[in-house]
Amino acid sequence: MSAPSTSQQEKMVTGFWPWFLQRVSGFLLIFLVGVHIWMTHFSGLGDVVRGHQEELVLFEIVKQRLAQGLFIFIDFSLLALVLYHGLNGMRNILLEWGPAARHAAGMTTGLWLLGVVTFIYGAWALLAFIL
Amino acid sequence: MAFSFRYLSLHPGNFQDRYSGTRSGWWAWFLQRLTGVALVGYLFLHIAVISTARAGADTFDAVLIFLQKPFFVVLDLFLIAAVLYHALNGVRVLLFDAGIAIRQQALMFWICMLLTAAITGVAGYFSLPLIFRE
Ligand code: HEM
Ligand code: HEM
Repeated sequence: MSAPSTSQQEKMVTGFWPWFLQRVSGFLLIFLVGVHIWMTHFSGLGDVVRGHQEELVLFEIVKQRLAQGLFIFIDFSLLALVLYHGLNGMRNILLEWGPAARHAAGMTTGLWLLGVVTFIYGAWALLAFIL
Repeated sequence: MAFSFRYLSLHPGNFQDRYSGTRSGWWAWFLQRLTGVALVGYLFLHIAVISTARAGADTFDAVLIFLQKPFFVVLDLFLIAAVLYHALNGVRVLLFDAGIAIRQQALMFWICMLLTAAITGVAGYFSLPLIFRE
């Protein structure tokens, strides 16, 4: 495994904007992932334990959550930002690997395509609860 | 120079360098990468699972009842630990980028580890009824 790079080196290899947006998206994800895991895994825990509710996650429960505009906003933002952050992170890693680094432009295009297609698929999935 | 930093030093570190110079520096970087890649893997599986909603509410519920069995609740705790470490160390990196706590890198790493363990512990405690039901 190659030596960890410094902040300065990293910025030069990945470019300023990917470096900067990785930090912005990471910061926003603290709140989005935090709220998401709280809502899906912990807010309903008491009801499940007391037997008022069968499971933490069921179709009707997600549907009720996504009946609120706030959670539509949160889920779509989460989907977009986590895909950007995750795939941009994969790009950073791949750029340290010779064969991928030599085809950097093609790889970046490929990752964007993967991201956009996955966003559309994920949005289509979420709309099953909304429409 | 902080005592602990010299003590943990593997090779003369450059203080501008976020990662070299401490043993915890390598581990911090490696765990950030490991958890990052693991979370990307989880993300694609997760979207695939949620998309079963397109096959109808009954299919979705059948899949999700299966995925909420005790074994998967335990896996969720590993997921939560990975998210916590990655997010906390992400903040650690952001602080260094802002020039904050550059000389306390090793200490900051152990704070991340401690918080990850503590919060995962609390999450695990509250998840016990789900792990030991029936
Ligand atoms: C929850 C809040 C999160 C924060 C604050 C955060 C922060 C960060 C930061 C600052 C970096 C850059 C590290 C560096 O340049 O040395 C990073 C890298 C990365 N993140 Fe996140 N992240 C978060 C969530 C996620 C999630 C949910 C995923 C997966 C879907 C993810 C995947 C990655 C990957 C793959 C990398 C690249 C790792 C590397 O270059 O070694 N992150 N993250
Ligand atoms: C214990 C952990 C988790 C549980 C129980 C959980 C559960 C769920 C559920 C029930 C949904 C459907 C929408 C909703 O209810 O709001 C969903 C969607 C989603 N979750 Fe999670 N989640 C967890 C962790 C995560 C993590 C760590 C990430 C980030 C990597 C994440 C990213 C997403 C995304 C992007 C969607 C939208 C999926 C799509 O468009 O198909 N989740 N999750």
